[in-house]
Amino acid sequence: MTQRRCVITGMGVLSSLGSTPEELYDALRRGDCGIRVMEEWKEQHFGAEKFLGAPVTLSREFVKSIPRSIRRFMSNISLYASYAAAKAVEDSRLAETDLKSPKTGCIIGSTMGGTTAIAEAYRIVTEEGGAENMSSTQFFKSVSHTAVFNVSHLFGITGTVQAPCAACASAVQAVGQARDLIAGGKQDIVLCGGAEELAPEVSGSFEIIYAGVSPSRPRNPKASSRPFDARRVGLVCGEGAGIIVLEELEHALKRGAPIYGEIIGYATCCCGSQISQSDSGAIEQCLRLVYDDAGLEPSRTDYISAHATSTIQGDAAEAAALKNFFGTERKIPVSSLKGHLGHTLGASGTIELIASLMMMKHNEVLPTLNLETPGEGCEGLDYVMGSRPRSVPVSTVLKNSFAFGGINAALLCKKMDT
Amino acid sequence: MEKKDLIEAINKTFVDNLEVEEELLKPEAGLFTDLGLDSLDMVDLMVGLQRKFKISLRQSEEMRKIVTLQDLYDFIEKKEAELRASGVNTQEIVEKINEDSGKE
Repeated sequence: MTQRRCVITGMGVLSSLGSTPEELYDALRRGDCGIRVMEEWKEQHFGAEKFLGAPVTLSREFVKSIPRSIRRFMSNISLYASYAAAKAVEDSRLAETDLKSPKTGCIIGSTMGGTTAIAEAYRIVTEEGGAENMSSTQFFKSVSHTAVFNVSHLFGITGTVQAPCAACASAVQAVGQARDLIAGGKQDIVLCGGAEELAPEVSGSFEIIYAGVSPSRPRNPKASSRPFDARRVGLVCGEGAGIIVLEELEHALKRGAPIYGEIIGYATCCCGSQISQSDSGAIEQCLRLVYDDAGLEPSRTDYISAHATSTIQGDAAEAAALKNFFGTERKIPVSSLKGHLGHTLGASGTIELIASLMMMKHNEVLPTLNLETPGEGCEGLDYVMGSRPRSVPVSTVLKNSFAFGGINAALLCKKMDT
Repeated sequence: MEKKDLIEAINKTFVDNLEVEEELLKPEAGLFTDLGLDSLDMVDLMVGLQRKFKISLRQSEEMRKIVTLQDLYDFIEKKEAELRASGVNTQEIVEKINEDSGKE
């Protein structure tokens, strides 16, 4: 069966470094970093320890603009996803009839669902009189698909609604699932991406397995996340949302929608043997699958948007897989944006995809913040380093996302021929 | 405690937490029909009262029969009297409700 082509016709983002793709891109280009000390967690949760994080600021006007009938079901993750979705819809100039069509769906993934609402529910049950004192909407704010149903109800979506829950690979899986639905003819348009909210319970989980930057070892927040660097010690959690409008090509052309790029390949796989550590063999397998899916020669890639979260083991495993897969014949520029943004977990795939689309637009590759000397096991790739973007034609981008549970996912995105 | 203080506290909850317009808060107003509340709002109203007054209302048959704002005023007035009779400082609770409502 002939597969229909899928293009990106709208982008919306909420990040610690900006709430439009342009704002985000300008901040990334300047080398800004959204990471800071989470003073607000100090008293509440972890005594004297200081956690780092990359929080977002969402306008109160936007929150108030959401009807209470829907807003009462939303914790931060849903508000973030709603904001990014609203911006993507606006950017794509989608009409109400398009949004309400049964051929329009919504797929939004996350790691946790409403983390703060889950923590609050436990607090009410254990400390505040038990379950009978829980709000009627607590469950709706907590569940793993909270973001996707809230966004779907906000826009009156009646098509396919799904919520991939694969931690840090969730957003890429969301776009991939959307691509499959559109390519196979089941949907014409899908709002898709990922969202995540910061919570000390999650940041603490990374720290406890030595994958996070330890709050008991103070360091400069702006230099704390350093993907691929020799002095990296772990990741710093961020939050936000990245939503794109994915649309069947002819449908997009017919209504004169803006086209930012085409998703030409998607793959996801599991290593099947290792839950908490990245497996370079399985990453390589994922890369093989995504290029097979696209029917593209790997050497034709112009930029690799790495997953690299700044963990010692994970970055080295990704670097090993990239070296092995792409070989040494043609060096392809690689960078990770987690030095700027921290690791936004379930949102990272699409926030970084949107930044990559901006790189495509500007024909330049942004460097990895804080990467000064590639660490042991990370050497041999064409890292974009320093403070300046590298000017280079960017037509084809590989976006990697790898998750706890041994789950890998990758997208290939291509600039539309003009 | 005066009834008007209690009504003021209840009305404030409707305005601040349920975002009901103040001019709609007439005693004869139906909670579902005129004020736009639904069954989940009623649960939250009940939970809010439980938490504020430290009483259990979940199995209360009277709570289920409330139709208008006046029914709610009467119900809460009755509960307040019961609490006061048992030695609870309800004035303090109502002042706390007003204070908390004002924060948001």
